[in-house]
Amino acid sequence: MSKSTSKTDVLAEVDSQNDDLPLGTTKQYARMHRWLKRGILVCLVGLVIEGSFTLPFLAIYYGYPTLGFRDICSELMKVRYSDDSLECKYPYDFPGPPFGGAPEGAGITTAKDQWGVQPKPEYPRIGFRELVRIHDERIARQNGEKAGAGHP
Amino acid sequence: MNLPLINRRSGNGKATSASPAAGGLVTLDDHDEQSRKAQWSADKWLIAGALLLGTNAAGIFGLPLFLFGLKKLRDATKAGLSVRPIMVTLIGYLVMVDAGLNLQGWILDLVGNHTLIYRVLYTAWGNVFDAGYFWHYNQLWIGGASAPGEKAWEVALVLVVFPMRIAAAIAFLQMKRWGYQWLIVTCWFGVVIWVGYTMNMTVFADVRYDGVVFPVIGWWIYDIMYITPFLAIPYLHTVNREIFSD
Repeated sequence: MSKSTSKTDVLAEVDSQNDDLPLGTTKQYARMHRWLKRGILVCLVGLVIEGSFTLPFLAIYYGYPTLGFRDICSELMKVRYSDDSLECKYPYDFPGPPFGGAPEGAGITTAKDQWGVQPKPEYPRIGFRELVRIHDERIARQNGEKAGAGHP
Repeated sequence: MNLPLINRRSGNGKATSASPAAGGLVTLDDHDEQSRKAQWSADKWLIAGALLLGTNAAGIFGLPLFLFGLKKLRDATKAGLSVRPIMVTLIGYLVMVDAGLNLQGWILDLVGNHTLIYRVLYTAWGNVFDAGYFWHYNQLWIGGASAPGEKAWEVALVLVVFPMRIAAAIAFLQMKRWGYQWLIVTCWFGVVIWVGYTMNMTVFADVRYDGVVFPVIGWWIYDIMYITPFLAIPYLHTVNREIFSD
């Protein structure tokens, strides 16, 4: 057998081994590529499911549709800065920071933190639809105060 | 080097070798034309699907389109046509979707941080998974997330890495050598991002996770789906690079 014939044979053998494999995948790495493909499919489907359901889930968790988006925005702001008097400004002046005025939180100093090189926030964890309860209780309290003010 | 892709494909080749016997001679040009048509017919579905996948909320409607395109591509491969390998297709589109979703969130945090939808849904996301997007939100002069270091990551990744990744992924899907090379480069950027970003979160863990609904483990479950570079790199370094032409 000549040298060139044996080389052709080897190439033919390699070709037949790779015949059932995807383009670019050699037999040596076929198993790894198969597992990577599975991982990639899982990630792709995972990203889609997350992307589709996270935002509706968040809206419901924080009180929609009982609370409108403006209410939720304000409630989150009250929790963030531990100040019940804060309200979300909507619509915000266009174009907004950095070139169109100060950001919404500028100058607010009521946020509770343990300040240091690694700040530690002290706002409470918000439970499922807890903003609805917080919102309703505050409105009831304000209404009660108004009613109380009428009877000295 | 632009190697002909004919017969260097998956499938057992029976379909093409059977065709001439059944219906006369099939030339290389015919095969080329059929492959090109099959590729475009699958890509139309894949592109439509991927565009929807990148929108977040409408992603669920894109998935069937994308999977249908994938099926068409697999059928074409099985029929012996010279079409793009499934792995290249999956990696290319996943990189685009991953980069697109990241870009969406971060661009909005940079320039749309006072929109109502961002102040509600994305700070809510911050409150659930990562308080970097809740803590002192919209208090920094530039607006948006105030967590230490976060804005630096956003600018670097939005202006440099993700656009490069999307460009590389498009060229990679076109089976171009530069697309393959730049996908390797930007996937390694992805490793740097993962290590740097998670380390930043670890150092400032109180800011990121105190008072959060699903801290740490919740963040990992949510964000592990963005681990694309770690799945693409082993493939990119072991695939036969000659399939990507200059």
